Amino acid sequence: MPKPEKPLDRRGFLRKAGASLSVLGAGVVLFQAPTLAGAAGRPKKYGMVIDCNRCTDCQGCTIACISENNVPDGHYRSWVKCIEKGEYPNLSTHFLPRLCNNCEDAPCLNLCPTGATYRTPQDGVVHVNRDVCVGCRICVEACPYGSRFVNPLTNTADKCDFCYHRITRGLEPACVDACTGRARIFGDLNDPQSPVSVYMADKSTQRLRADLDTKPKVHYVHADEAIMGPDYNLLLAGR
Amino acid sequence: MEQSVQYIYWIQHGVPLGYLIGWYLWLISLAEGTHIVAHLSWLYYRSEDYRPLEKVGTFQPFIILALVPLFLIADLGHPERFYTMFYNWHWTSPVAYGVYIITFCMISYAIHSYYLFRPELIIRARQGGAWSGLYRLLLPGKTEDGDRNEILARQRRRERAWAGVSLAFSFLGLIYLGILLSSFKGRVMWSSSMMVFIFGAVGITGGSAFLILLSNLKNLLSKTADEALRPQQRYLADFGVILKYSLLAQAAVWFVYLVLLQYTGTGGRLASYLFMEGPRSFQFWFWQVAVGLALPFLLTLYRGLREKPLIASLAAVAALAGTLSGIINIFMGGQSLPMTNFRWEHLAPEPGKMIFGIVTMAVMFLVFLATYRILPYENAEVSEGGA
Repeated sequence: MPKPEKPLDRRGFLRKAGASLSVLGAGVVLFQAPTLAGAAGRPKKYGMVIDCNRCTDCQGCTIACISENNVPDGHYRSWVKCIEKGEYPNLSTHFLPRLCNNCEDAPCLNLCPTGATYRTPQDGVVHVNRDVCVGCRICVEACPYGSRFVNPLTNTADKCDFCYHRITRGLEPACVDACTGRARIFGDLNDPQSPVSVYMADKSTQRLRADLDTKPKVHYVHADEAIMGPDYNLLLAGR
Repeated sequence: MEQSVQYIYWIQHGVPLGYLIGWYLWLISLAEGTHIVAHLSWLYYRSEDYRPLEKVGTFQPFIILALVPLFLIADLGHPERFYTMFYNWHWTSPVAYGVYIITFCMISYAIHSYYLFRPELIIRARQGGAWSGLYRLLLPGKTEDGDRNEILARQRRRERAWAGVSLAFSFLGLIYLGILLSSFKGRVMWSSSMMVFIFGAVGITGGSAFLILLSNLKNLLSKTADEALRPQQRYLADFGVILKYSLLAQAAVWFVYLVLLQYTGTGGRLASYLFMEGPRSFQFWFWQVAVGLALPFLLTLYRGLREKPLIASLAAVAALAGTLSGIINIFMGGQSLPMTNFRWEHLAPEPGKMIFGIVTMAVMFLVFLATYRILPYENAEVSEGGA
């Protein structure tokens, strides 16, 4: 014979509801715990700020990068673009040091079919795993900044990784070290005390192709508008 | 006033993906389009005498899809790592899906072709003859009893199921091509919703043209009996109608695309300039518009012209040249827009890859022709009656 069910009185209801809420609350706290801890010790976000007014186009960064990373002839992980504006005598010269932006929403990473392009979660740097890269050049095609190339020595994609072998040992990237005008400043963008954050604190910065929303981690100060992107107007004018 | 700008130093990035990949995209769109046109036409006619054309429209795309990965493999920096794309799967990349879509597409075409050829293979294997050993090899298990209609009745359900699966994969393949190019958000010429429509229109145009050309070649090479030839020529004339309207659709899609480019900022206007007056203007106006759109449209405009195999084949060749030119224009053109400077990017010469591509395409064509001599494309009663 089935046991008759006992009707739930107010006390019983409150006890059960309290127990349920306690379990739910404990669950939420446990679930949130790693996130809360993460917020306290935020992961690093390596980035760079380049003050174009300080750049002298000495190409020290270009040479340092080539020798540090064994970059093959005819290819560049870092280079300096140079233009002249105006007519004599009202001329101005502008420089734009270039490198991989290690974007927060990197198109090269999203489109890599094998996952050879990956981001290290602890610092946000974008890398290429040469053992997995098939050399399909999708990432070279995808990068809106022209920062990637296929290394003819390894037949895999290649790019700047902020000299990862140096920064993980507490050194600065080779281009930053070699910059004669101290135009390049490197550091953790999440750390308000880092040189890069301190430098950026009182300056307005620009980023390349901001319209694409790739969130580049290389910021520019005093970069001229004319040098920042491709110049389609010249081509449209048929020059 | 805007100041004049003079470039002192910059980097040319070149064109990363060359002609092999352009041909790869075109061949895939051609294979998918051919199958779509052939199979949708079967759904329309549902007639046994249409079956030889359905075989052309299923087996030839299979040959293309079986050989086309060679283009991709030859273009990789590490061809020996090609297979890693199957298991190092990166879910945000369209190519990671495409590798599977194209592979399953090829497999479904192979199985569908098997069921299409099976009744004739069984009958020919029983009859003996020059290729009967090969036919037995292609038929796993015990050779079935019964006449063609009984064999057909027994396999009908499986055959149509695989036809449906292969049709679904064909559409997926064309959609994949469009999504693939439109996913490059830094490339102003490709980052457009029109890419799916462009590949769709190019696929259907190329597919109907390819069916006309290959079926006429089949009829020329495989001694088709007169009673089979007459309905096939009627169907081929109907493919001419599909070709005519797909050319119109393609023209409309390109027109909308070029208008949209005009409203996509300076980059979009430069992309449209590249077609109209820039470095690809000859390829656009001559190959794509005059040869690829206007000429085949005129040649398929009147029924009298469409019914002549030579004229229809000429229209098909012109339409195929136009679709190839269209894909190459958009693929190479999209990469020649500069990323960081003021000059068109150029492709470094790749003589080895070009020769490889041309040889592979020639081999592909020879395989098409060889299958006409070897495989039983015609229905068994017709070939038996004709024999």
